[in-house]
Amino acid sequence: MSVINGIIDELDVKDPYEIHILEPSMVSFSRSQGGVFQGVIEGKTFEELILYRIFPFQYTTQYISVRNSKGEELGVVLDIDQLDEESRTEIDNELKFRYFLPLVTRIDSIKQKADLWIWELQTNLGPTRIVMRNLHEHMQYPSANRIILTDINGKRCEIRDWTSLDGHSRSQLKDAL
Amino acid sequence: MPILDKLPRAIEDQLTEEPLFHAVSDLMKDGQFGQQWLVLTEQEVSVWGTDGELVLKLAVSYITEVRAVGGVGGGSLLADTPSGPIILIRYTASLTSIFGFASKLIGAVAKGEERPTVSEKELPRNCPKCRNPLPDGSQACPVCKSNSRVLSRMLSYAKPYKMQMLAAVIMLIFTTLVELIPPFLTKMMVDDVLTPMNMGSTLLWIVIGLAATSLMITLMQTVRGMIGVWIGSKIMGDLRHDVYQSLMKLSLSFFDRRQSSQFIGRVNNDSEAMRQFMTDGVVWVTGEALRVIVIFVIMFNLDWKLTLLAMLPMPFMIVLSSVLWPMIGRRWYQQWRSIFRLNALVGDSLQGIRVVKAFGQENTEMSRYSVANKDLVRNNIRIEGLWQGIFPVFALVAGVGTLLTWYYGGSKVLGGEISTGTLIAMVTYLGMLLGPLQWVSQMINWASHALSAADRVFEIMDTPSDVPDTANPTELGRVKGDVEFKQVTYGYEKHHPVLKNVNLKVAAGEMIGLVGHSGAGKSTFINMICRFYDSDEGTITIDGTDIRNISQRDLRKQIGVVLQETFLFDGTIAENIAYSKPDATKLEIMRAAKIANAHDFIVQLPDGYDTRVGERGHKLSGGEKQRVAIARAIIHDPRILILDEATASVDTVTERQIQEAISRLVKGRTTFAIAHRLSTLRNADRLVVLERGKIIEVGTHEELLTAKGAYFKLVEAQKEMSKIKGVENA
Repeated sequence: MSVINGIIDELDVKDPYEIHILEPSMVSFSRSQGGVFQGVIEGKTFEELILYRIFPFQYTTQYISVRNSKGEELGVVLDIDQLDEESRTEIDNELKFRYFLPLVTRIDSIKQKADLWIWELQTNLGPTRIVMRNLHEHMQYPSANRIILTDINGKRCEIRDWTSLDGHSRSQLKDAL
Repeated sequence: MPILDKLPRAIEDQLTEEPLFHAVSDLMKDGQFGQQWLVLTEQEVSVWGTDGELVLKLAVSYITEVRAVGGVGGGSLLADTPSGPIILIRYTASLTSIFGFASKLIGAVAKGEERPTVSEKELPRNCPKCRNPLPDGSQACPVCKSNSRVLSRMLSYAKPYKMQMLAAVIMLIFTTLVELIPPFLTKMMVDDVLTPMNMGSTLLWIVIGLAATSLMITLMQTVRGMIGVWIGSKIMGDLRHDVYQSLMKLSLSFFDRRQSSQFIGRVNNDSEAMRQFMTDGVVWVTGEALRVIVIFVIMFNLDWKLTLLAMLPMPFMIVLSSVLWPMIGRRWYQQWRSIFRLNALVGDSLQGIRVVKAFGQENTEMSRYSVANKDLVRNNIRIEGLWQGIFPVFALVAGVGTLLTWYYGGSKVLGGEISTGTLIAMVTYLGMLLGPLQWVSQMINWASHALSAADRVFEIMDTPSDVPDTANPTELGRVKGDVEFKQVTYGYEKHHPVLKNVNLKVAAGEMIGLVGHSGAGKSTFINMICRFYDSDEGTITIDGTDIRNISQRDLRKQIGVVLQETFLFDGTIAENIAYSKPDATKLEIMRAAKIANAHDFIVQLPDGYDTRVGERGHKLSGGEKQRVAIARAIIHDPRILILDEATASVDTVTERQIQEAISRLVKGRTTFAIAHRLSTLRNADRLVVLERGKIIEVGTHEELLTAKGAYFKLVEAQKEMSKIKGVENA
């Protein structure tokens, strides 16, 4: 087995069925003048890169798939904390743009009007409103205290830990659930 | 051009040209919520803040391409320029469609191509008043409308039976009045017979009166009950019928997103809850309300001061009900959700029972079930417990009124102000009042239960089909079978297209083989022809008619499908073959089976064509089922035929039989076939190679082989595979 591995290493052939992990030292990310996420991956420059969270619910800053503009995977960054300062800031920003998921800081109200549930929310990105047809199809519970709310139109908000919300928000939530 | 929001003056004043298009986004560049305006003129694209400050300006001539890049929950508009891509504006998922359109429009202006026009589908559909999303296909905002809509809609189901309802109500009124007689007779007995010790004929007459009233009551209650059951069953049947009908009419995409087991509960339980409310509920409310009023009138006549005293606790009871109402409603919904989860879980694991057993995961499933079960038990206790708690509290509160009556009424009797009989009658009437008042809370229960059930039922009925029929469908008649895809783009999720800009012209009678890796869009391609989904962009025509202008009945008449997963309905083989043509003669059925290579094996079955198949019937093998399905398609006699991996799950011998059957079937019909084994597509007139939703190659088997492109690679890869298989088999 080791011999075979040795040969593959020598020839430097990428096994297409192996997950390619990007070494933190071999990658750097930045933002172009036009605001587009770009970077240098193992010596090659890409003027547009697309990021995917591999486990969007479980890990927000770990297991990031880096892909070119055609969607082909260039590799996986295991943890963005290991990257250099600029790369880390930009990758973090880009993830926040691509995975638009405001964090709910306060629930102003949850009202049921006609056949719609209307949530007035304060988030870390400003106030917003989420409208649902019903509760059972638009709420997800990825872990014990975490709730993901999805709007009729696909807009999403996250309640990271409902137990740590203020009293008003909690009672609104409890009333509805 | 329809423009949704008016451009603010501050921006408009600064423009040098008339804008071609503008749209407002709901995000700032830094990802915060906020508004920015995108404005397109003939010369430039600009982005503005709401107060008129310029964020970005780009000459249209500098742009090579504009893309709407979709993220999760949001997206951004990106312009490609010689100096690299530039982000124009960011938006949340609610605005995906309008900015998708913006990208196409700007791109068209930049490249000097034909400009697209905005369609209804691309504008965000919000109520202009409250900004909440509108239901599709309607301009009426449900939020701005009154809340009693659900109730009145529910009651409209009782309309066809109004005569019977009226009869029940009249009988109810009568019973109620008759029920009020006995206490009055008791009063007479006490005052006129027992107190004066006057043993005349009066006693006998009063007892006869009492007997007559109870006989009347019994009789009327029986008749009324029977009418109630009759109306109830009828309404329930109508409701179930309507729900099921709307379910059948919904498009596939509705079911893609939901577990099908949940609907079983919806169709049955929710309509039962609604029925209970309408028959028992409505009748009761009318009857009890009437009774309350009459009792009050009688009591006031007997002694108005004492009545007022007895009524002291009433406001308290009303307040209590109004506090409990919303709470109960929410708990019912909660309990419903638990039941719903439990049902979904059972449905899921039973459907996948083979997988569960194969992986030995019975214990995991059991523990998943018991978690959901515990949740249901908890919610059950919560709602029922609340329920059980309410009754005694109501009784206690009402009891205070009785106590007050006994005390003050008693002292009045002693003071000679009222007779003993009057006091007894008062207390009896008060006791009768307690009943309806308790029923008020039961009514709350019924009503809220029924309203939430109605909400869910109407939700199904109101869900518009994603593939609506046009008002004036074009009559097709018998088509030739020309099919054309014009720039068709479609994604199950709008922001993630599975088919991209597909163009293909197919002549009548041609056989097209669809080739590509899994996920390339082959099945989607086929789904589009059947119009299980409507394209997001572009059109599909049959004989030059847009399939959106053809009624679905008519369209499906032209299309026959043989799928990989053959589904036979519960019934005989003959019934299954004649599924699309119930009036087919026995000879037609046999002919179809013969062409499908199925006749021989069917005849050899002990029950022949009368063999029951489907869930509870005879187990046919995969190949046998497939051939029955082909016979079903043959008898349908479609002009356009779709074969989706029709031979994927059978052995080589059976495959040959099926192949033969298929080759007879496709003759003279426009055929689209998907197959994993490329060899089965050898007869195809043209092969279409799909990759990531795009057509990359079109041509005959030989042409594509000599071209040495993607198809060549696929063929080579399969040859490798069969070699390996050959080795394995040897």
